[in-house]
Amino acid sequence: MTVFHFFNCAILTFGPHAVYYSATPLSEYDTIGTSVKAATVYLGTALVKLVCLATFLKVPENDSFDPYQELLKALIGFIDVAGLYFALTQLTHRNISQNHKFQAVGLGWAFADSVLHRLAPLWVRARGLEFTWEYILQGLEANANLVLTISLAALGSLMWLRKNKPRALVPIIYACAGILATMPSITSYLRRGLGWHLPKVVGFELFASLMMAFISWQLFSACQKPSA
Amino acid sequence: MAGSKGREGEMLESIYSVLALVFILVACVELGDAATVVDVYRLIQYDLAGVPFGSRLASLNHHAGSLPFAPGADLSRTVVIIPFREVNITFLRDYIMQRQPLGGLLLLLPQNISSESREEAEEGDRNNGKELIRSELAELEKLLVHVNIPYPVYFAFEDDKITAVLADVKTNDATGQPATATTGGYKLVVSTPEPKKLASPTITNIQGWLPGLKADGDVNQLPTIAIVASYDTFGAAPALSVGSDSNGSGVVALLEIARLFSLLYSNPKTRGRYNLLFGLTSGGPYNYNGTFKWLQSFDQRLRESIDYAICLNSIGSWDDELWIHVSKPPENAYIKQVFEVAWEHEQFSKSRVTAVTLSELSVAPELLESTGGLSDSRHFVNGIAVSRSVKLVAESLARHIYGHQGKNIQIFADGSSLAVNPFYIQSWLDLMSQTPRVAPFLPKNDPFILALKKELADHTAEVNVQHEALDGIFTFYDLTKASLNIYQVASVTFDLLLLLVLGSYLIILFSFLVITTRGLDDLISLFRRPPSRKVKMA
Repeated sequence: MTVFHFFNCAILTFGPHAVYYSATPLSEYDTIGTSVKAATVYLGTALVKLVCLATFLKVPENDSFDPYQELLKALIGFIDVAGLYFALTQLTHRNISQNHKFQAVGLGWAFADSVLHRLAPLWVRARGLEFTWEYILQGLEANANLVLTISLAALGSLMWLRKNKPRALVPIIYACAGILATMPSITSYLRRGLGWHLPKVVGFELFASLMMAFISWQLFSACQKPSA
Repeated sequence: MAGSKGREGEMLESIYSVLALVFILVACVELGDAATVVDVYRLIQYDLAGVPFGSRLASLNHHAGSLPFAPGADLSRTVVIIPFREVNITFLRDYIMQRQPLGGLLLLLPQNISSESREEAEEGDRNNGKELIRSELAELEKLLVHVNIPYPVYFAFEDDKITAVLADVKTNDATGQPATATTGGYKLVVSTPEPKKLASPTITNIQGWLPGLKADGDVNQLPTIAIVASYDTFGAAPALSVGSDSNGSGVVALLEIARLFSLLYSNPKTRGRYNLLFGLTSGGPYNYNGTFKWLQSFDQRLRESIDYAICLNSIGSWDDELWIHVSKPPENAYIKQVFEVAWEHEQFSKSRVTAVTLSELSVAPELLESTGGLSDSRHFVNGIAVSRSVKLVAESLARHIYGHQGKNIQIFADGSSLAVNPFYIQSWLDLMSQTPRVAPFLPKNDPFILALKKELADHTAEVNVQHEALDGIFTFYDLTKASLNIYQVASVTFDLLLLLVLGSYLIILFSFLVITTRGLDDLISLFRRPPSRKVKMA
């Protein structure tokens, strides 16, 4: 019965990525190579982040919110943004349109993130007899993460790949990108500083991801108008 | 182009094989640990002359249930948790005798009789409650030890975690649905191998010899007085059979008497004209098998030189009455070869040695009764009773040895250098109450046996240890202690529901993405391809 539970949580965590790939035109244009390259860049970024975290952070004694540590973590989080920049701009992709490029990169990035952070705990713990809601919530978090990453990739491609943007929208784009980049710090503040429980935090993440997706979609289509 | 594709294919293949290897390695990782882990102690499993007794199984993997049983419920896959205060002996006896099926039984014992608990035995009203518990425990133990139970039976001490689990199980049961795989609940798992027979269990007798003063020119052997106590126990839960009263009190009294007389005998001026032989025997619950073998090993001269033997049995919780049990000399030596030996001194009588047993019990206990089981914990024995017994025996011995019967002399007076040491008695009683001593589970060189040997060596001149095999009619099985894992499990229906919800979520997500990125026509075309082909053919 518990392998059943593992299977359920696995399809909740990784299913949406597969569904996204097959449902959108990404599968038609065979952009899997881009996603794989983005996943590899994520691996490298994660490694660099780990080394920085290990070097600069102290081990916390209690589970409270320490502003300086969180600030350091946020700064190190910007390495993520640098990684995305590298994946979007420096790698050579086959001839795919802007529209699909950021989606493929975001998808590969989010998939690698889910696998690295969530597969091992899922495999080891969800197969046990003991039942907890934790892994279902973790799956929901993976979904929210997918949406957030794709939004960030969209804004990233807007910032770095599109040259002619309407002037008024530029600060909004940068602001939204900033919010998306610091989303991990925001959730950790909610969890530790305000003491929210996991279901509440996951609910907030889902809501925030949908909001940001909508905003980035609007921004993207607004920027697309001149070239259309 | 083809070359790069081939290399890519090779890379993918090697990646797949590495992933497969990683998965296989990770699959060997143990499954997640339970929310609650409890120490449990198994009911004893033994064969007496081939007839099986006790609980015959050890491993457990069933759902938890509680009293009262729902009528007509199938309990063969349920472990019933019963706290001690809810145990109804007649109900349990009927249930077991009628051979009703059950997945397992978990009995919860009150915390205050555990050896971890540090409450001291006090006089007063608390004694009444404790006496009731003691007699009920004794009754439960008597029932469980003499029946054959084909499912696992475990004892555990009540604590917060298990009480919370039991309360949950009771509320679930009250709704009328006993826990099964489809309704969720708690699952109790004890994963142990099958219990195996203990090969050739040994019993170890320890004797200490304190020689008396031989006058110059005295050729004859000095007479000997023997003081004997059996130190091993038997009970429903071998890992909990500490036998503080039966016979921890006897052992402690023997050690204290040995200490006092070693003080007297250390000085040649106060050494008596009697040898003293101290014997700590094993095999007590099994018709004093160890005592029998110990006596068999005696030299003929030694046996004849024993004037008399005093056996100490359960002298730790008496108030006013202490009994001396004697046996009538057998008219016909062959009549006395009965199977059951009720008191230790009867083994001496068989070998024609005069002996008595000093005990607080007025009636001889039956086979495997009053052998230091569940009900015999530290709280039911007090050091004062032991001290009084020691003083009684020591003074009587001294009166005999030094020949001042009739005179009003107290050798071991309180406050003197030969006073009975209450701290010595307390500390040894505490040690005995924390050491389960069921003989088949005590290996030859168990630290406890070595400790007894060392203590006796401190007080006597010569110590001998005799190892014998336990009588063949008793066979014991191992696995006396285990860890119980309590898991909270979700039902199969929950998993199926979740699968349904997730499936519909993914389908909705798929349709949504197809509609927003490719348009509604594409979605419909996914399902309408076969008919359109047919139309084309036509």
